[in-house]
Amino acid sequence: MAKTYDCLFKLLLIGDSGVGKTSILFRFSEDAFNISFISTIGIDFKIRTIDLDGKKVKLQIWDTAGQERFRTITTAYYRGSMGIMLVYDVTNEKSFENIKNWIRNIEENASADVEKMILGNKCDLDSQRQVSKERGEQLAIEYQIKFVETSAKDSLNVEYAFYTLARDIKAKMEKKQKEASNPSGGRSGVHKPTLNDARKPVTWLSRCSVL
Amino acid sequence: MAEMENDVSPIETEQREYVEDGKNKLVVQCKFCGSKILDKKSSNYIAQEKDLPLMQQASNNDREVQNETIKEFYHVENMYTFENIGFTHTVDNHKYLSCADCDAGPVGYHDTNTRHSYVAISRIVHSK
Repeated sequence: MAKTYDCLFKLLLIGDSGVGKTSILFRFSEDAFNISFISTIGIDFKIRTIDLDGKKVKLQIWDTAGQERFRTITTAYYRGSMGIMLVYDVTNEKSFENIKNWIRNIEENASADVEKMILGNKCDLDSQRQVSKERGEQLAIEYQIKFVETSAKDSLNVEYAFYTLARDIKAKMEKKQKEASNPSGGRSGVHKPTLNDARKPVTWLSRCSVL
Repeated sequence: MAEMENDVSPIETEQREYVEDGKNKLVVQCKFCGSKILDKKSSNYIAQEKDLPLMQQASNNDREVQNETIKEFYHVENMYTFENIGFTHTVDNHKYLSCADCDAGPVGYHDTNTRHSYVAISRIVHSK
């Protein structure tokens, strides 16, 4: 069957236990009388389809809940991932400090060109806040990674974060394809895809065809 | 989970207003929140009997999972055909499918051996 989308991006949610990674992926709340079968088993991953500048982009988003220790998340886990959401809890200082350890873990195990974003989650719990927004921004500047505060509970900025990460992956991919087809670099000509491009079996970049 | 294929003649399937040329004629959406699950004509109608856990399990019932038998499904060979969907962790070679937006489910199941997915038609709604 013909492919019905333009790009497929695999994204991971990473961060300490309890920072709300699962809530970012999973919203269900149950009433007192019924138990949702789904919440009992838990979500492994979701597929979402978004429109990015006229391109149909599929996001496959994985939760890493239950495997939060740095050492258990290794190369195999990161394989094929193109974007990583680094999540901390603004009411938990330790989870913020650990973001640096997570970044180191990513540098050691993930592909060098993986796109990253830092999320300061639970920003709805302002009275319990331990990490200011400014410190989050400062950390992001230090590592040159985008940053946003989110509230999975109030659905604040969650969708924005996924769109931003996906857009950055797509931009990076298009830049690389342009460079590959135009090795002299620097010229501003528009790259026209050819039959050859579609067949090139390079990295995950090639999974995004018809650009 | 019991599974058996039923013989359904082509004429019988053609009579279903939501099936055309063996495919879902209409967009498939979540019953509860309207989230788009499948684009039109992206999956194949299949008549088969399969037990699926009820979406709501009575909380006074400790261990036993309450099931119901579903007889009609949309068969999706490639998981990336889905517009929006959730996959649960694996239980006995199955992942259950849930709405990506409101997490209602199971709206179907995924066979981890064949990697094919099946959407329970009685648990979704159609729209144009």
